[in-house]
Amino acid sequence: MVFIFGVNFPESRLVARSLQSFYGIGPQVCTRLMARFHVHKTAKVGALSDRQINDLAAELSTMTLENDLRRQLQQNIKRLRDLGTYRGRRHAMNLPVRGQRTRSQIMTARKLNKIERIG
Amino acid sequence: MLLAQAITQMAPPQCLRCLRNSLQLVEHRSLIQPPTRAAFSTTSLLSAKAAQPRKTAGTSNKSKTLRLSKNIRQTAGKPPARGERKAVRKRIVLSNTNALEVDGLQDLTADKLARHSEGTVALQTFTGQVLGFSDETVDALRALESFKPTQAWSLFRRPASLVRKETAALANDMADTETDTSKVARKMVFGEKGSGKSVLLLQAHAMAFVKDWIVVHFPEGQDLTIAHSAYEPLRTPNGRIYVQPQYTAKLLLSIANANQALLSSLQLSRDHQLPFSVQSNMSLFRFAELGGRDPTIAWPIWQALWAELLTPATKAVQRPPVLVTMDGADQVMRVSAYLDPEAKPVHAHDLALVRDFANLLSGRTQLPNGGMVLAATCASNRAASPTLDYCLSRTYIKQEKASNAWHLLPLRGPSWDPYQLKDARVESAVMNVSALKLQGLSKDEARGVLEYYAKSGVLMNAVTDGFVSEKWSLAGHGVIGELEKGTVRMRF
Repeated sequence: MVFIFGVNFPESRLVARSLQSFYGIGPQVCTRLMARFHVHKTAKVGALSDRQINDLAAELSTMTLENDLRRQLQQNIKRLRDLGTYRGRRHAMNLPVRGQRTRSQIMTARKLNKIERIG
Repeated sequence: MLLAQAITQMAPPQCLRCLRNSLQLVEHRSLIQPPTRAAFSTTSLLSAKAAQPRKTAGTSNKSKTLRLSKNIRQTAGKPPARGERKAVRKRIVLSNTNALEVDGLQDLTADKLARHSEGTVALQTFTGQVLGFSDETVDALRALESFKPTQAWSLFRRPASLVRKETAALANDMADTETDTSKVARKMVFGEKGSGKSVLLLQAHAMAFVKDWIVVHFPEGQDLTIAHSAYEPLRTPNGRIYVQPQYTAKLLLSIANANQALLSSLQLSRDHQLPFSVQSNMSLFRFAELGGRDPTIAWPIWQALWAELLTPATKAVQRPPVLVTMDGADQVMRVSAYLDPEAKPVHAHDLALVRDFANLLSGRTQLPNGGMVLAATCASNRAASPTLDYCLSRTYIKQEKASNAWHLLPLRGPSWDPYQLKDARVESAVMNVSALKLQGLSKDEARGVLEYYAKSGVLMNAVTDGFVSEKWSLAGHGVIGELEKGTVRMRF
């Protein structure tokens, strides 16, 4: 098991998959992170050197991830609502925010847009 | 009265007495189980009803599909273990006990590669015949990963290959460099799919092994560049390059195993600046093996080993010629899949191993003890490298024009798209490399290989002129892969 940013990962897991398990790291950020520390794309967690693990951990600790990022998102929506904007209202009403039609296909907005948005 | 009339006329769906009963029931139920949700919503009740399994007497959960043998899925017990399927896919079978032993099949030996008094190598007289490989050669070729799973070695009794005119020409080049070490042939082998590029490299390996040369082979160019192996940056005076420790270790091990007998007889000739101490009289075999076992020290050992191999031979220090080859070399003539710290693609020539090979291929690194550098492109998994294509066809046309075959070629050479940028590094690597185009076999060569198939018992037809001509034509003027497909593989 390898400990990265508060999580234990099995050694056989891909580095890319482990990094992308954090909220706030997707394919793009992950590619940049791995390139920065010279981790090739099929590397497993167990194959990382201690230095690479420390570097990754140090870099992750400077990034806004997980709950901090979720809080930031909620604050952004809250700001819109407090200002009384149309976007804020649409968020609160589970409706699309950016002018999409609402006759059909608003599943994503129904799922995600809420006052305390999860992520 | 009116009311009674209205009731009789309307005929309500439920009689009032029953309605009263049902209302009582609802009240009663609600008193026992107070609703947990808002009273006006019936969702929870409905969903609770829906969630209950609908079971009626006499039905079972079993499927109602017709029971036919084809409908029953066969479970083959345990799924294959990790890596098992890949091992099966990559397995190389070199023998078929059901195939017949070919009478009079000669082996490739050193005396066949020696020069006649007339100046040609003896192998020239074997053109169009099939020669086998000795057991030691087969072991070395296996260690080098010269055999490929796609080739049809598994159909025959033992590995053997056809001597074609290009093979004899290579043998001639090898004999040349042995007499004059400054004559080092550097060639890029190309040609259509199935034209025998990889097998020509294999023949070169076998010949070099028989001649006691050192053979270094990169089995697949794409393994170096598709970013499936670890990499580390290394600062050099010429900028940053990238080292691949695991791949280097694997390569060192294959060099050590393939050239074991020869490398065991050679020793380190000088002190190298290494991050660890080694015996001063260590054999090169042990030295290479040391790097092969430990990826962390593989790179310094690779460098030191090359310094040793490139040391000019003296009376005290024996150094044989070196054959360096790479299959799928088109993959290393472009940007790789590795990324630099700024997430920009790394050019393949910035990878240390590829850079070393490119230096040998272009002649920037000389082979002072003679040798040969061969690179083969791959036609079935071809990487887009416009600069390589352009340089190859330009060199080929130039070569052909210098020979007598110029009238068979288009008058104008290839033209470069002026809106496209040329890859200067690739161009400098392949500019002065001669181009060896593999085309179809001649009819005599095709007859030789078909007779071998027939003698091995895998081809049942009588090998007549008509049969050879037919198969030769169907194989696109004797492309050997197609010839094999059309005669031997078709039946299996």
